[in-house]
Amino acid sequence: MSIADDLTTRYAADLRGFGAALPDDFATGVRAMATLLPETAVEAWAKAGVELANSSLRAWEAAAEYFRASPALVDRLGVEGIARWVVLATDLSSRSSLIAAQFLKSTPDALAVLQPDDLDEWAQQGDRLCRGNWKSIALSQLYFQVSPALFQSLPLASVSRLVDIVDQLTERSYEVATTALEGAVQIFAGLPAVDREPFLRFARAVTRASWADTRLYFERGPRLLDRIESSQRTAFLDLAGRVTTEVGRQGFPLFSDAAEALGGLPLEQHSAYIAFAARIAAGSPTAAMEYLKSAAFVATRLNPDQRSLWEREGLEIVTVERNPEGAEAYFRLESTRAEERMRALSTRVELASINSMLRMYAKALSGEPVSVQSAEELVDRGIGWVTESTPTTEGSTIYLPPYVATFEEQEANFQVYKVFTTHQTGRMEFGSFDYAWDVPGTYVAATGPRREVAATMRREERGIAAAKAEAVTAVQRLFNCFDDRALIAGLFTVVEDTRIDALVAREYGGIRRWLRQLQEHEIVRRPKVEEMALRQAFVENLLRASLGMPEAIRWPVMLREYMTEGIAALRMVEQRGATVQDSAEVAGALYDIAASIPNVRAPMPDGKFDFEGATQEMMDVLPSMPGGGDGPDMPSNSQEAAFENPPQPDFRGDFKPELVQLMAKLKLQQEGGVDPGGALTKEQLMELLQNSTELSIAELADGDIDQSLGMFLDNLQKDAGMPASDKKGEKKDGDSDATDGGDGEGPDEGEMPVEITWFYYDEWDFRAGDYRPRWTRVGERFSAEGDREFYEETLRRHHGLVMETRRQFEMMRPESFKKIKRLEDGDELDTDLAIEFHVDKKAGAGPTQRIYNRRNKIERDVAVAFLLDMSASTDEEIEKQKVKHSKDDDDDDFDGDPRRYFQWLAARRAQAMIEPPKRIIDLEKESTVLIVEALEAIGDAYGIFGFSGYGRDNVEFHVIKNLDEQMSDRVQRRISKIEPIRSTRMGPAIRHTIHKLEEYDAKVKILILVSDGRPQDHGYGRDRTEKEYAVHDTKQALVEAKRLGITPFLITVDKEGHDYLKQMCDDIGYEVVDDIESLPRRLPTLYRHLAAD
Amino acid sequence: MTNKIAPGFKQIAVEDFRLTEEPFYLPLRDEVELFETAYADKVPVLLKGPTGAGKTRFVEYMSWRLHNRGGHGGHEEGVPLITVACHEDLTASDLVGRYLLEGDETRWIDGPVTRAVKNGAICYLDEVVEARKDTTVLIHPLTDYRRLLPVEKRGELLEAADGFLLVMSYNPGYQSAIKDLKHSTRQRFIAIEFDYPPRDQEAIIVQRESHVDAAIAMELAKLAEKVRNLKEHGLGEGVSTRLLVYAGKLIHGGISPRRACQVSIVWALTDDREVQRSIEEVVASIFDD
Repeated sequence: MSIADDLTTRYAADLRGFGAALPDDFATGVRAMATLLPETAVEAWAKAGVELANSSLRAWEAAAEYFRASPALVDRLGVEGIARWVVLATDLSSRSSLIAAQFLKSTPDALAVLQPDDLDEWAQQGDRLCRGNWKSIALSQLYFQVSPALFQSLPLASVSRLVDIVDQLTERSYEVATTALEGAVQIFAGLPAVDREPFLRFARAVTRASWADTRLYFERGPRLLDRIESSQRTAFLDLAGRVTTEVGRQGFPLFSDAAEALGGLPLEQHSAYIAFAARIAAGSPTAAMEYLKSAAFVATRLNPDQRSLWEREGLEIVTVERNPEGAEAYFRLESTRAEERMRALSTRVELASINSMLRMYAKALSGEPVSVQSAEELVDRGIGWVTESTPTTEGSTIYLPPYVATFEEQEANFQVYKVFTTHQTGRMEFGSFDYAWDVPGTYVAATGPRREVAATMRREERGIAAAKAEAVTAVQRLFNCFDDRALIAGLFTVVEDTRIDALVAREYGGIRRWLRQLQEHEIVRRPKVEEMALRQAFVENLLRASLGMPEAIRWPVMLREYMTEGIAALRMVEQRGATVQDSAEVAGALYDIAASIPNVRAPMPDGKFDFEGATQEMMDVLPSMPGGGDGPDMPSNSQEAAFENPPQPDFRGDFKPELVQLMAKLKLQQEGGVDPGGALTKEQLMELLQNSTELSIAELADGDIDQSLGMFLDNLQKDAGMPASDKKGEKKDGDSDATDGGDGEGPDEGEMPVEITWFYYDEWDFRAGDYRPRWTRVGERFSAEGDREFYEETLRRHHGLVMETRRQFEMMRPESFKKIKRLEDGDELDTDLAIEFHVDKKAGAGPTQRIYNRRNKIERDVAVAFLLDMSASTDEEIEKQKVKHSKDDDDDDFDGDPRRYFQWLAARRAQAMIEPPKRIIDLEKESTVLIVEALEAIGDAYGIFGFSGYGRDNVEFHVIKNLDEQMSDRVQRRISKIEPIRSTRMGPAIRHTIHKLEEYDAKVKILILVSDGRPQDHGYGRDRTEKEYAVHDTKQALVEAKRLGITPFLITVDKEGHDYLKQMCDDIGYEVVDDIESLPRRLPTLYRHLAAD
Repeated sequence: MTNKIAPGFKQIAVEDFRLTEEPFYLPLRDEVELFETAYADKVPVLLKGPTGAGKTRFVEYMSWRLHNRGGHGGHEEGVPLITVACHEDLTASDLVGRYLLEGDETRWIDGPVTRAVKNGAICYLDEVVEARKDTTVLIHPLTDYRRLLPVEKRGELLEAADGFLLVMSYNPGYQSAIKDLKHSTRQRFIAIEFDYPPRDQEAIIVQRESHVDAAIAMELAKLAEKVRNLKEHGLGEGVSTRLLVYAGKLIHGGISPRRACQVSIVWALTDDREVQRSIEEVVASIFDD
């Protein structure tokens, strides 16, 4: 009997009762072991296995693994190794048999990488993860399951660090820990070897700072890193780690954003960026990451040299000024300083920064109320314009690209904008869109009617159906006279732009130089004329001639007279006095020439095609209209290419006279104007749009043409319905920019859409010590109107008080004429003084000469703005607030007598039915009514505004009464409709009120802010609990008011107001009204003191 | 103590002031004819229009013209012109006269209106809305058929001499509603409206007044036209012909056109940086240097 059989028999009983397969596993194992080990060792092995099987409830499963795995490990571990191994397993089994089983099962794989000596540590790591509960057991088991694979990419020591991370995660969520561990295998296998350790190091930092981000990091980290230059990843991860250690939970988001941003930058620049970020990180880790985040944007604005200057200034904020918060804001591009510096350095010119200037410029030149907008807006309107990068106009607005970076100098780029604008205003000023049917030009007779007849005959000959509907616009009718609409439209564009350029150069001597520069810039960018088919080359050459670059003309020698004639015709419109009618006729004549030139691509029989540049003689032609003639003698065996217009030069931009005329017509119609052509039919419009070459084909390509056209027509009509020039972007002054939003929001609007005008204001970031540029957006709108009942009711209820305040205010009213005595010069002699004078003089007592009187008119010149807090907190009932402050009143009043209590309660409810409980806002409103009555008595100019909103983009500014508005019914209605809305972002509301007061002309200006608590809004501070930021910004706004000569005053009903008001107001007046209900009485009194001068 | 008097200094009583040389005035429409007729028929005239459009020059021209026509309306001595620049502290006694102390007695001094009434002069109240409302009422009896000036303090009534005519100027543009003319006042005058002349004519005026060459004058007139487009869109008032003349004079004196326009037009017109910038760009578009 072999030792194997012996042992099998010996332990048969011990192994029975576990899983059915266990005895078999044992038998197989023991047989195999017997061949490898001496008997005593086999016995010990078997004994250990059986003991393991019996060590805990389901330990037999582990034993099964033991029996199965052992033979393969004998070589690797040796007898002692196996013995130690099973001890480890048994220890684990005391935690959970599952863990032990997995440990045993994974050992062969693990040993492929690990040394036998490592087993202890390995087991210990798994053991650490187990805390006795089932989740931890599963995790520990998972660890043993995946670790062999992990060892493929990470050394044991690193895995140990990973276990640390997982372990830390378990304190929060086993789910996250499990996912992390599961994902780790793939992540590390996927990472290049050198990145693994740094990745893990940063993972530790992230986990410490914010456990939840670990999962995100594991999910996204590898992909983010992938886009960073490989040699820089370690440096970047270490930087991110340092940052995270410092800033905590913000660490990962910063890393993620920075990595994303870095990924967008050229790989070869990564090292420089990261190195610079590391320098910033020494003083301000967050700023370093913000620097990386904005790097891509900065790179679009500044060239490397400019950029390093800009960066250096930011670094100095950290190193010299020691203001990390300031550097953060700087690199986040949320500081005025950063923006100004960038603007000063950049050669690129932004439309936004010169928009309002250009608008005024365009208005001056054209004499029309034009507005200037970014071309992006026009594209969005979907009315036929599709390019965002070229200037254009639809007749009332000039559209310009959002920025210009054509030249290396800021001045030159600015001049590009000017040339753009001047050319577009030129179209308005010089009447490009005023083409009228059958009107002769200055130099050329009208040929329209003749051409129209000929065209009809041609079509009839060829059996083409006549147009279904009558032409809508004159330009359309003109174009209809030609078979190739694209050609005539292209020629008309070239000719008309030539005329405009000539006029601009003639009328605006200062532009000439820059126009020339752009023309030169343009000419080298023209497509190759040599590669064009002849007809297209003809048009291109005309364009070159019109750009003043005759030397760039390339044309076959044998066809030269066509070109000469063409150029001579083009010269017609450059003459003084040429009109758009001339342009149209010249375009027609050029069409005749062009149409007679076959559109073939230089396929001469002998293979030679003799191009030449323009000779002087060709350019010196006098303006003249071509006579009729036959086409050139060209072999017609070659196929004609389809004609396509060469692209327009950028500075001239899109020219769409057909659409512009159509829009003007639609506008006229919608404004109810009388149009001699009668109402437009849908057929007519569709016909125009279908035939027009001014619509982009791409626009119509997707989907059904009829449908797209219909949509397009809707857009056009909608657009025409809007009031001209007032569409968007009316900038009012330096720091506020108003656009009418049109998209009325908020539940309180009536049927009429609320018209909102937007203004932008900076916000003060006290940490950075700088303004955040254009940070807040204030939407001004008229407050909704309620009924007048409230106003009248308040007057009735406070009758006595109203009378009293009115009397008090009337007393303030100055005597309109006041006699001033003792003047050296005046209206009349004061007899008494004159006599005195004589007496003194006779007595030789040095008489006083001040003997005249004068009546002087003294006018009160006071403007006051009341700014009411309409935040949600003003909804609070005053009763409740009182209870809050005096809880102890009513408890003992009822002496435990429930009947009395219920009586009291019923009475109170009945009272509430008749008279709803008063809220803070009600008192604000009542006070407003009273002060309005008082102010009407004294005659001071006053405005009443309310503010609320949510977030920095949506500060609502409700106008109840403007400073220059007369008191009226509507104002009374608006007062009654004052309702609590949302948050309290005081800063921007104050700034906007300042703006309103600034616009009003008065000697004394007062701003009175009535509120119920501290400033507070979403994002009005670093986090939700921070109050400092809001207080500082509000204070800054009040200081701004003071600086502008406005007297600010704060009234609050917040009893806790003293603490923050003291800080907020410094030397600015404020008052905490203790008894809320005294507000209506208090407000007029306060005003009297404030306004008494 | 002697006052030094520079050469060229002249001191004359207001009622003796007559224009001896013909002031340059380019009639734009029928204003000359209208004024002459009104003068002959003793109808008071209100000149409306923006500042620097030539109102004052017109009155000067008319007074010269009426003077030199002699005989017309029977004034062989010619028509003196008495101009009063109105301001908000202008009082009735500033216009009519007052007592002054002289030695041991008081002496009555006639105000400018009184002098005009007595001498049959054209009395020109420039920027009349600037004056206090109570003072403008004073002229009412002078403007209708009565042609009387009550001098309260002396208890006198003065009847206007034959050549007397009241002319007022008034800029309806910039005054606020408070500073509007009372209807009872304005309805006593015929009104001649002044506006800036069209480009060609303005160029002639600029050329004539500043001696620049025709081309520059034309460019200045063009500039003016463009700048006036900005009225109500950033500018309260368009650029006046007077400012153009100043610019022309500077250019004539050798200042570069851009600089000349900057100091005499841009900066004179507005303090708003943004508007200044826009106008400067218009200037830069028109003038090359």
